Amino acid sequence: MAHLIVSDVTLTFGGLQALTQVNLSIEPGFITSIIGPNGAGKTSLLNCVSGFYHPTKGEIQYGQRNLTHASPHQISSMGIARAFQNLELFRGLSVLDNLLLARHQNLQYSILHAIIYFGKTSRLEAENRTYVEKVINFMELEPYRKKMVGNLSYGVQKRVEVARALTLAPKLLLLDEPMAGMNIEEKEDIVRFILDLKKEWGTTVVLVEHDLGVVMDISDQIYVLDFGEVIGSGTPNDVASNPKVIEAYIGEE
Amino acid sequence: MSSNRWLATGNYFTSYKEEQRIFFTSLDRAAMSLLLLCLFIWPFFIVVDNKYMLVIDNILVAVIAVMGLNLVTGFAGLISIGHAAFVGIGAYTIASFARVLGDSHALLTHAWPLLILIAGFMGAVFGAIVGLPALRLKHLYLAIATLSFQMIFQWTINFMNFFNQGQTISVGRVVWLTGQVSRSQHYIFWYYAILVVIVFCGFAVRNLLRTRYGRCLVAVRDNDRAADAMGMHPGFTKVYAFALAGFLAGVAGALHAYLYRGVGIESFTLHHSISFLAMAIVGGLGTLPGSFLGPLAIKVLDLQVERLSEWAGAHLTFATNLATALRPLSFGLVIVLFLMFEPRGIANWWRIARSYVKLWPFRY
Repeated sequence: MAHLIVSDVTLTFGGLQALTQVNLSIEPGFITSIIGPNGAGKTSLLNCVSGFYHPTKGEIQYGQRNLTHASPHQISSMGIARAFQNLELFRGLSVLDNLLLARHQNLQYSILHAIIYFGKTSRLEAENRTYVEKVINFMELEPYRKKMVGNLSYGVQKRVEVARALTLAPKLLLLDEPMAGMNIEEKEDIVRFILDLKKEWGTTVVLVEHDLGVVMDISDQIYVLDFGEVIGSGTPNDVASNPKVIEAYIGEE
Repeated sequence: MSSNRWLATGNYFTSYKEEQRIFFTSLDRAAMSLLLLCLFIWPFFIVVDNKYMLVIDNILVAVIAVMGLNLVTGFAGLISIGHAAFVGIGAYTIASFARVLGDSHALLTHAWPLLILIAGFMGAVFGAIVGLPALRLKHLYLAIATLSFQMIFQWTINFMNFFNQGQTISVGRVVWLTGQVSRSQHYIFWYYAILVVIVFCGFAVRNLLRTRYGRCLVAVRDNDRAADAMGMHPGFTKVYAFALAGFLAGVAGALHAYLYRGVGIESFTLHHSISFLAMAIVGGLGTLPGSFLGPLAIKVLDLQVERLSEWAGAHLTFATNLATALRPLSFGLVIVLFLMFEPRGIANWWRIARSYVKLWPFRY
């Protein structure tokens, strides 16, 4: 499995330095968390990895491939999926269609086949539907399958967001605050999904999260960002005892 | 399937292939077949004079054009105020052939299905070119770009001698298996021709909408950032949406040219673009039934108001100005009322009626 390496990434917007010489190494099969106070550059970093932003300086390497200048749809075809922080679902479609959309790259038939529908298209659609159903089972979305996404509750929409990323069959999953605004039970559900994902599907997970309790419990490795710089990294225990991290979170004595 | 095939009493599908069907119950399929049958056989029983037959043909042409507009504006969410220009591209493709080869050349009269297809492809090419700004522009800015295409189109036709400066370019009578279509058969012949095209286009679009080529349109409408992250090229999808709309518009334009046996710029002005948009809105943006119901509603309303204003002009001589203003007034009023009270269009009434019938006699 491929290794994601972010080396010396700097991202500037005009005079604003969003990221300064960030170095990360994300081990395959691990849950890596990125934490930090608001505005630390966590989402900017994910945007760089998933191709929405391109770093001003530095390189992002995934296995043998260079992601520095790739666009989001190219990156998604390399097996990197992304769930967004603010729900970015297709609100006018059902849960099923939202997930089927993520199979776009796998549905390889021509427009003429699509118009005729019978034969190849029908077969491919059914095959991909089987995969989608697997994800629906995994994320426990069965009751909402045919419901319009825009009408679902926030917690369920968040779950659909994660499910959609999973439907891309990623090797590396980037989750941007999947638990923001959830109650304790919904959080427990999502944590369970993430742990199952690591165990059963062997997916590498990069988690951006504010809930330190969750992060400390499930992460194999943590990076702490503050003002666009990595101020600490290591196992949860290392990070918790790092004086710089304590300073960033709690303040100086 | 062990259950009732006629009413949707539950979901008894056992494979995903079974769930792909268009008609979920036999009732749906029977109703659709019956409707199609009626559409094909009613002219044998009811004779309508040419004036009204032309109105009916007009509705059918508008249905094809609005189907295209609905794809780009309703499904892909890209407002196009230049749709009449795309229809015009199709019509002027036929006109170009007539200009170069003469209006009764065998290609024009015998190979008309081929020419209609060519007109469709011309529309698609222009659609794709006009769609290019969609790579960068969104929302109202894109609407202005399509508006400018409408202006360029009108200007070009009006100033080019090749296109007779917008004056009518005549197109000859077509030949069918029974020989040349005569004056008395003309409208009824084109009624059937257009109906067949509609049935093909309708099923093609319906199939397209349940595959990746249809879903990607809705994806870029709802959220093009997420569409990008899900592996679609949003820019390419938008250009494709315009090409698709252009194709249907081109076909509609070619049919219009043959139906009127001539092409003039006055049928493809900004006014027509807006009226296509109105049909799409009244029918229901982003729904396939809307593309059929919208043109029907607007054209029938137009006809009724015209009759009313004629009557008013004749009987209430003091209010002739008012009577002439009745047509644009009612048109504007209908759009405003629909935007206010039923933004999802007539298709929404259709949906409500259907779900009621589905559950009948139970209300849950």
